Amino acid sequence: MNGGGLRSPASAATSLVVPLVLVALAALIGASGTPSFEGTVTLILCNLIIVLGLQVFIGNSGVYSFGQLGFAASGAYVAALLTLPATFTALQTPELPKLIADAQLGTLPSTLIAAAASGLLAAVVGWPLMRTSTLAIPISTFAFLIVAYNVLANWDPVTGGSSGLVGIPTTTDVTSAGVWAGVAVVVALAFKWSAGGYRLQATREDEVAARSIGIGLMRERLVAFTISGTLCGIGGALAAHQSGTLSPDTFYFAASVTTITMLVVGGARSVLGAVVGTLAVATVNELLRNLEEGSDAFGLVSIGATPGLAAIGLGLILLVAMVALPGGLSGGREAGELEPVRRRLRSRAPSTSPAAAAGRARPQPARGSAGSLRAEGVSLAFSGLRVLRGVELALPPGEALGLIGPNGAGKTTLVNVLSGFQAPDSGSVLLDGVEVTGWSPPRLARAGLGRTFQAALPFAGLTVVESVAVGAMGVGVGRREAVAVAADVLERLGLGEQAQSPAGLQPPGNQRLLGIARALATGPRYLLLDEPAAGLNDEECRELVAILREAIQDFGCAILLIEHDMNVVMDLCAQVQVLDDGETVAIGTPEEVQADPAVVEAYLGTSYAVGAHA
Amino acid sequence: MTDLAQSLIDALALGGLYALIAIGVTLIYTVMGMMNFAQGEFVMLPAYALYVLAGLPFAVAVCGALATGIAIAVLAERVAFRPVRNADLAAQLVTSLAVATILQNAVSAGVDARAQSVATPELLSESSQIGALSIPNLEILTLALTVIVLGGLGWLLYRTRIGLEMRAAAENFEMARLLGVRANRVIAIAFAISGALAATVGVLIVLQTGQVSPTMGLTPVLVGFIAVVIGGFGRISGAVAGGLVLGALSSLLGTYLPDGLVPFRDAIVFSLPVAILIVRPQGLLGAATGEARI
Repeated sequence: MNGGGLRSPASAATSLVVPLVLVALAALIGASGTPSFEGTVTLILCNLIIVLGLQVFIGNSGVYSFGQLGFAASGAYVAALLTLPATFTALQTPELPKLIADAQLGTLPSTLIAAAASGLLAAVVGWPLMRTSTLAIPISTFAFLIVAYNVLANWDPVTGGSSGLVGIPTTTDVTSAGVWAGVAVVVALAFKWSAGGYRLQATREDEVAARSIGIGLMRERLVAFTISGTLCGIGGALAAHQSGTLSPDTFYFAASVTTITMLVVGGARSVLGAVVGTLAVATVNELLRNLEEGSDAFGLVSIGATPGLAAIGLGLILLVAMVALPGGLSGGREAGELEPVRRRLRSRAPSTSPAAAAGRARPQPARGSAGSLRAEGVSLAFSGLRVLRGVELALPPGEALGLIGPNGAGKTTLVNVLSGFQAPDSGSVLLDGVEVTGWSPPRLARAGLGRTFQAALPFAGLTVVESVAVGAMGVGVGRREAVAVAADVLERLGLGEQAQSPAGLQPPGNQRLLGIARALATGPRYLLLDEPAAGLNDEECRELVAILREAIQDFGCAILLIEHDMNVVMDLCAQVQVLDDGETVAIGTPEEVQADPAVVEAYLGTSYAVGAHA
Repeated sequence: MTDLAQSLIDALALGGLYALIAIGVTLIYTVMGMMNFAQGEFVMLPAYALYVLAGLPFAVAVCGALATGIAIAVLAERVAFRPVRNADLAAQLVTSLAVATILQNAVSAGVDARAQSVATPELLSESSQIGALSIPNLEILTLALTVIVLGGLGWLLYRTRIGLEMRAAAENFEMARLLGVRANRVIAIAFAISGALAATVGVLIVLQTGQVSPTMGLTPVLVGFIAVVIGGFGRISGAVAGGLVLGALSSLLGTYLPDGLVPFRDAIVFSLPVAILIVRPQGLLGAATGEARI
């Protein structure tokens, strides 16, 4: 579980051990109580596994799914049907296939099969669902939950219908639930710290920027959705083996609200948050339930039985958490990332110096330098407004081409077409002679085309080194090598010192550099920069030019530079292409185009065109 | 032939009901960018107002229900949703889930967790004979209300100052504020209208089923959400189209599905949005917008 440079080993160990200790403590407390108390704690641990399942998807993707309880239900039903004695299944589920009806497996095999079945279901269901938009996923996953409920409640001969199943062997004890919860903690953390986990977190921070570094949104979401479904299936199966009964209502709306509350209250972004939130909300919930049943809480208050009280309390907790505690109890951090821990870790050992990793690996430079990036006759209109009119552009390998023109000339639109964010109406884009028109941005990024945006679009929730390393991970570089690439790039850009601090807290100049660093980490052969110098002071501009020159020399990377600061353009680019009103009006050296009357006219209007240029 | 006409009218009536729900969801989404889970409770509480006011003349009870719907929507906005107005979509969604849970269980605790029956006027459980068709009066009422609401909303949005402000706020909230649109007022009015729409739906559901229960808002809000997703986010026209499609499908499947599959009708209906969204991720009437930020 070594972070390999993304975090110090001590921080990684703390992040792993603290939630495990919390789980072990909960199990110990449960084991020392009455049998009914032990049962309650066991069920809470089963819930924790489901909440960790939610964390894997919701926490890393930032997209809420209300359907994960459907996978808990599928796990529970599969496990129950596989372990129910044949005499029970004959009564409750007469039309169940004989193989399953007669099966009477032990708890471990039934749990494993339930996990696999739920994971498979999640992959099959997720395949279409993850195709829907970020906005629609919460709703379409909810639709799935209703569909699952409906099938379970109405398919009487196979599922026992709305009355459910009884007589399930009660084999889950507090120890086995605790062990499985520990496994779930490890799985959730391992995913979060894997290359896939980082790619998904990048999409959470900024979808557009994530696409530009090669990350396919649907694929990453589907992987997490499947792992999440598997964990939920395990939690459901164990819960069924705890209570011995099961009905379609067990894992429906109320359970969805409860588990989401647990995750949100703890802080969805961290595994620690899932654990702390589950334990905290479950404790309050149990106290409220005692009140609800009319017993004397704390021997102080005595009130009559009030159904719904626990749920009202849960709702209030959720409301307060959303309004007053947006990051949850954990602040969305892992144990090793909490401020007091960080301070102690820092005083003990210096963090791995990124410089140490430099030189070991670097972005793959020019993979074959044949060909160039070309636009041929690219035209595009937005509802009648013609933004590009048959633009030709050629960016040879290893060169820098300036793209200038007045506001609204179509420069950014052209970059959007080249990088796949915008399909042209006609014309084509060729990458080293291969027609790439219509390729998606992630595919183009993996083919060697990097870009930055006018806005910095930082991955605010990641650290500086993570947000650059994820660029390399985006194009398929393994985690360890990606970290070395990031360290190298950061060192070159003079950001090595900031490696472990949050990207979102960097000053604007650094965030702009981070955008370039992220693109460089993908090892691009062609880099499209959209106004990289905007907002930088003179000193920073000079540094930027030096960095870009180095990128051209060391990585063999060609640069297309949109920039209004002519000093930067003249310093870097041997050739400049001028766009006006969607058409190329001049190509040449910076001196040539500045003297060109057509260019002067484009910037200043006709009346200045004759002889007004100094 | 009459059978077909009959089931088409049934389908249209259910579609109209669903459209009313979807419009309420969409109004709040357009001014605030929030998918409001508590919309179902804005349906449920007015229905309980009918139950509580059962002794009074029905018209008075309906007025009480409308007032309840408007009050609860405005109150929820002020207390719960205003603090998270600038939070992301997920945070707002979860906040509204919390509000829904609180309201739903408050009714469970305060009245009863079980369904209660409500007496409804005779006239509305009868049918009218039109040609060869016998149409339930309730369906006529539902269709009439849908048309009236659509007309009224069209007038409000496109012919009045507050409508202009609402549309401006929906386009670009910050810009609208800078130009003098009072955000709090626009949002409060959107919630009030949405609450009134939800109350109308609540009354219609009580007339249809003759009972109220704390969870009666769940299905409507889900139907509303899914209609909005199918129709294309943030468009009144999309909401109407989505509602009609969903209602018609549900009604027609109920009539024409083979007996063995009837219990799975809801499962089939709720699978539909996914099918539509795979083909058209932006919804039926949603525009395929480009990446606005780059």
